[in-house]
Amino acid sequence: MPVIGIPLDEFFAFYGQTLEVEELVEQLHRFGCSVEGWATLRRYRCARCGAISESAEQDLLPALCDGCGCDLRSDGAASFEGEVRVLKMELLAVRPDLFHPAGLARAMRGFLGQDRGAPVYRIEQGKWELTVDPALAGPEVRRPRIAAAIVHDLCFDDASLRSLMKLQENLHWALGRDRKLASIGVYDLERVAGPRLEYRAAEPDAVRFVPLGFDTEDPAAALTPEEILERHPKGRAFARLLAGAGRVPLLLDAEGTVLSMPPIINSEATRVTTDTRHALIDVTGMEDRHVERALNIVLTSLLEGCPDAWGESLEVNYAGDRRRTPDLTPQVVEVDPDAASALIGQRWSPQEVVELLRRMRHDASLAGSRVRVDVPAWRADILHPRDLIEDVAIAYGYDNLPRVELSGATFAQAHPREIACARARQVLLGLGAMEVMTLALSCEETTYQRTALPDEDRQVKLEHPISVEQTMLRISLIPGLMETLAVNLGHSYPQRLFEVGSVSLADAAAETGAREEVRAALALAGDGTGYADIRAMADRFVAEWGWSIDEVRPVEDGLFLPGRGAGIWSSGHCVARFGEVHPAVLENYRVIHPVVIAEFDLEFLSRMP
Amino acid sequence: MNEALRELDVRLLQCLANDGGQPTVTELAGRLGLDQSPVAAAVTGLAEQGLVAIEEQALLELKAGARAERWEEGRCPERRVAAALAAAGGRAGIRELPAISGLEAKEIGQALKYLAQRGWATKQGAELVVGEGWSGPDGPAPEPDERLVAHLLTAGAQPAASVVEQGIDVDAALALLARRPGVVERKERRQRRVSLTQAGRARIADGLVAREEVSELTTELLISGRWKDVSFRAYDVSLPGRTPLQGKEHPFRRILEETRTAFLHMGFEETASPWVESAFWDFDALFQPQDHPARDMQDTFYVGRPENCDLPDEALVERVRATHETGGSSGSLGWRYPWNRQLAQRCVLRTHTTAATVRELARDPAPPRKVFCVGPVFRRETIDYKHLPVFHQVDGIVIDQGASFSALLTLLATFYRKMGFERIQFRPAFFPYTEPSVEVFVWMDSRQDWVEMGGSGIFRPEVTEPLGCRVPVLAWGLGLERLAMFRYGLSDIRELYLSHLDWLEEVPQCR
Repeated sequence: MPVIGIPLDEFFAFYGQTLEVEELVEQLHRFGCSVEGWATLRRYRCARCGAISESAEQDLLPALCDGCGCDLRSDGAASFEGEVRVLKMELLAVRPDLFHPAGLARAMRGFLGQDRGAPVYRIEQGKWELTVDPALAGPEVRRPRIAAAIVHDLCFDDASLRSLMKLQENLHWALGRDRKLASIGVYDLERVAGPRLEYRAAEPDAVRFVPLGFDTEDPAAALTPEEILERHPKGRAFARLLAGAGRVPLLLDAEGTVLSMPPIINSEATRVTTDTRHALIDVTGMEDRHVERALNIVLTSLLEGCPDAWGESLEVNYAGDRRRTPDLTPQVVEVDPDAASALIGQRWSPQEVVELLRRMRHDASLAGSRVRVDVPAWRADILHPRDLIEDVAIAYGYDNLPRVELSGATFAQAHPREIACARARQVLLGLGAMEVMTLALSCEETTYQRTALPDEDRQVKLEHPISVEQTMLRISLIPGLMETLAVNLGHSYPQRLFEVGSVSLADAAAETGAREEVRAALALAGDGTGYADIRAMADRFVAEWGWSIDEVRPVEDGLFLPGRGAGIWSSGHCVARFGEVHPAVLENYRVIHPVVIAEFDLEFLSRMP
Repeated sequence: MNEALRELDVRLLQCLANDGGQPTVTELAGRLGLDQSPVAAAVTGLAEQGLVAIEEQALLELKAGARAERWEEGRCPERRVAAALAAAGGRAGIRELPAISGLEAKEIGQALKYLAQRGWATKQGAELVVGEGWSGPDGPAPEPDERLVAHLLTAGAQPAASVVEQGIDVDAALALLARRPGVVERKERRQRRVSLTQAGRARIADGLVAREEVSELTTELLISGRWKDVSFRAYDVSLPGRTPLQGKEHPFRRILEETRTAFLHMGFEETASPWVESAFWDFDALFQPQDHPARDMQDTFYVGRPENCDLPDEALVERVRATHETGGSSGSLGWRYPWNRQLAQRCVLRTHTTAATVRELARDPAPPRKVFCVGPVFRRETIDYKHLPVFHQVDGIVIDQGASFSALLTLLATFYRKMGFERIQFRPAFFPYTEPSVEVFVWMDSRQDWVEMGGSGIFRPEVTEPLGCRVPVLAWGLGLERLAMFRYGLSDIRELYLSHLDWLEEVPQCR
C-alpha cells in the first residue's frame, strides 16, 4: 500500500487546533487510517518549474522533481526551503477524500465532534462552455469523457500548492489507475482565454506547445505532442496510455492555445503558481462517474482549504448532449436503523444513528422509521447501505462495542485429510525422524534433472514464474527432502528427516484441472544406511494403516541405484516407493553420505482398507 | 560376617598390608597397575568405611616450562654463549655471537645479564670477553638451576622432595630462576597419603572376600541371579551426554496445529479447497472487480497448465455477473463494468484461503455454521527476509442468524487469547469483500508496539446474496508465518522453510 505524507502544520491549520502527534495518531487509527509514523522532511524548490519536492535524507536532494519530473540531483537545480513534519499514512484507496490535509481535517472535525453533517460549498452557474470532439470516443484516441470546474478567490502558498500536486498524483494512482481512468489538470484561469474551451482529438504533429517544466522563452522548448511523448519525462512515463492511438487528446482555450495534452502533461503557460487566484480544473477519462468523482474531490479539497474560495460550473457539450459540471448533488441512501443495530450488535435509536452518521460528515435525517442519508459527492465508496452501517460503527467506536457470544450450536469436525496427515506424522515421529517443511513450489530442473524423478508431464505450470527455481507446483516431496539434506551437510550424521504434505498434479477430470494428493516422505542419511533400513520403515509405515503388503516389486528409475529401488503394492495400488538414492543424484546435491528415501501415497493409505 | 568388598577394594587393602608405609594415591595406582581415578574413588570409599586413613599433604611439584626447551640437556643459554666465545679465542663482537653460538640475537641479549652475574663473560664496548669465572672449553661444573632443568627435562614433573633426593639443591636452583619465568613451573598440589586403620587391619585379619566388578548388566546376570554377587562399576556421571537421533514436530507445524485446535475447540468444522483455483472463486465470488490490482499478473500466479477451469452452475455465475455489473439483487450499485466470463475461468494459484471458506458458504449457506481452513496460499512475491511466494493462512467464517459485528470482535478476541495474546485492539480497515471491516492488532511486548495480525469483517451483501445466503457471515483471514516468526524470534521468514537441523533440535518442543 503506498504511503502519503500529510504535512502536520497544514493539517492542524485546517483542523483548527494543534493536537499531540500521539493523540492524533490514535484517533486516526480509531477512524481507520493506518499511520506508519511521522518524519521530518527537507523541502527543495525546483529551479526549473518552481515546484516543491521532499527528501528524507539530510544531505541528499530528492531524485526527481515532483512537478516536472526533471532530475534534481544531476542538474543540482534546487534550493533548500526548510523542514516540514509529515505524518506517514497508508493510502486508503477507497477514501481519496482523505488524501488532502483539508479533506482529512474535514473528516476528523466530524469524528472528534467539532462539526456535524456535510459542509455546503458555494457553486455558481457559470457561462463557460467546453465542447467535446466525438472523435475522442473513437478507436484513434479512446479518452472520451471530461469534467471541469472553475474556482475563484483561491489563496496558494508553497505548502498548499504542493498538497494540491500530491492530491492529483495520489488520485491518479487510486482513482485513476495510474491516469488510465482519470487524469487531472489544473490551470491558472487568468491565462486561459474563455469562455469557449475545446477538448479535441488532434494529429500528433499538428501543434506545438511548451510542456510543464520547459522554458517558455526558449523557442526550441515548444514541442509537438509526438515529441513530448518521446522527450519529456512525463511523456515517456505515460506514453503507453496513448500507445496505438493515431491521434492525441488536446484541451484548447478559446484562442486555440493548448492548455494540456491529457493524460500526459499541461502547458507551461497556464501553470498554477502562488500568484494564481482563479483556476480551471479538468479531469479526462473513460467514464463520467470516475472523472466527476475525481473532479469533486479536487474541487472540494480546494474549497475546504480556502474559506473565501467559491466554484463556478460550466457546460460540457458532447455534440449536443449537454452536462453541467461540477455536480455536487449528494447520493441519497436509506439506512434501516434496526438493521444497523442488528448487524453491529449494538442497540441504537434512529436518532442515534442519525447523529453517528452526521459525525461522519453525512447529512442524515429521520424519514419515518428509517434514516435518509445524503452522502456528500466527495465520498466515492458508498455502493450499498451496508457501507453506511460501517460508518455508524466507526463513529460509535469499535472499542465501545459490547461483548456478544454467538448462540448457534455447531459441532467441530476436523478435515479427513488433516486427520490422515496428523496420523502419518505421528507414525514418522515414532520412527525417530525429524519433521521438515519445504515450499510447495518447485521447478522442472530440480524435479526431473537433479532428483531424476520420472517425468510423467503432469506438473501444474506457472504462466509467469517469478524465479527459475519456482516454475511449477511440486509433484513429489522427495526433491524437498534432498534439498534439506543439502542444507544440512555440516550437521552430524546419521540424519533422519520426514515431511508430510500435499503435491499437485494436473488432472483434466478435476474441477479446476488439477488436484492435490497427500504424501509422506522419509529420508535416512549416514554411513552404513542401506536398503534394509528403508525397507523396514516402509513396511512398518504401510502396515500402520492396516494395509497388507501384497507385493514388493523393483522400481527402476533414475532416483534409485539400479536393483535397489522398490515399490510396495497393496490391493493393486503402488502405496510406497523407496530405495537407495543413486550416487549421481547425491552428487547433484553434493551429499557425501549414503541416503535411502521413501515416499508414501497417503491419499490411498488413509482410505479404509 | 563382613559384607563382601569390591574386587578393587580388596586389592587395595592387600597392597597396603603387604607393602606397608603410607603410599600416595599415585604410588598405589602405580603398584596396582591401574589408572588413578578408580583408585582415588576406591580410596575415598574405603576411608568412608573407616578401613583406611587419608592424610592430605601439601606438595610442591616442579615441571620444565616452555622456555626450558632452549636449555639443551640443561645447559643454560649463557653457558652456550660462553662456550662459543671461548672457542672463538676468548672474545668476539656481540653482533657475531648469533652466528657462532647458534642462539638468536634476542636470546643473546637476555643472556648478557646472566653471563655477567655468573662471571663468565663481560661486555667491553661492542665486544664480549670471557670472564674470570669461566675455565676450560665447557666452563665450570653445572650450576644448581641447570641440574634441576636437566633432571626435569628427562624425568618429567616431579615433587620437589624427590628432586632433593637426587642431590639437587632445589632452593638454590629456584632462587637462581626466580626472575626467569617459564623455565621451571611450580605448582602447589595436595597429595593424599593412604594408610591402613586399626579397623582396616582387623578386616584383613578376618579375611577379605572380593566381589566381582562388572561394567554392564547383562541378561545372563539377571537370569542367573548373579547380579546380587557382583558390583557395578560407577560411571563418571558428570561427563556430557550424546545428542540422540530425535523425532520432533516442526516448530511451524506446532503453530498450524495450535491454530486448528483453537478453531476446533470453538466448534468449527474444517474445510479445504484446491491449490489451483478458478479466478471465479478466488476473486469474482468475493466481489473483487476484474480490473482490481490484486488480480494483476504482477501479484497473482496465473497457471499456464491447466489454463482454464469449469465454472459452477450457470445460475450462480449469472448472479455473480449481475452483482458485479449492476449490484443484481444485493441492493448494491455494483462495480458497473462489463463482467468477463473468460477472466473468471482462468486458473490461478489460490491467493487466500478465503477461496476455501467462500466455496463452503456456497455449498451450504444454511445457518448455523462455523467453518475454517488452514493451508498454503500463493502470491507472486520475490523471496526476501519478509516475503515468500508461498505462505500459510487461516480463514474462518460464521454463518449465523444472530451473528453481529460485536460477536465477530468477541470471537476474534477469544481466538487470539487462545493463541496467547492478551491485549487486542480493533481498528477500522478496508477489504473488498467485507463491510464493516476490521484489522486486528495484538500487543507485542518484545516490540513494545501493536502488531497487525489479520483482516476481518462481515461479508458484503454483494458476496453473500448471489450465494443464496441471507444471514450475516462473519469472516476473517490471518497469515500464520508472522505468528511463528514472533514466537521463535526469527528475523528472516526463510528460516521456517530451510529446516536447519541445528535449529530444529534446539527449539524447545514444549514451549
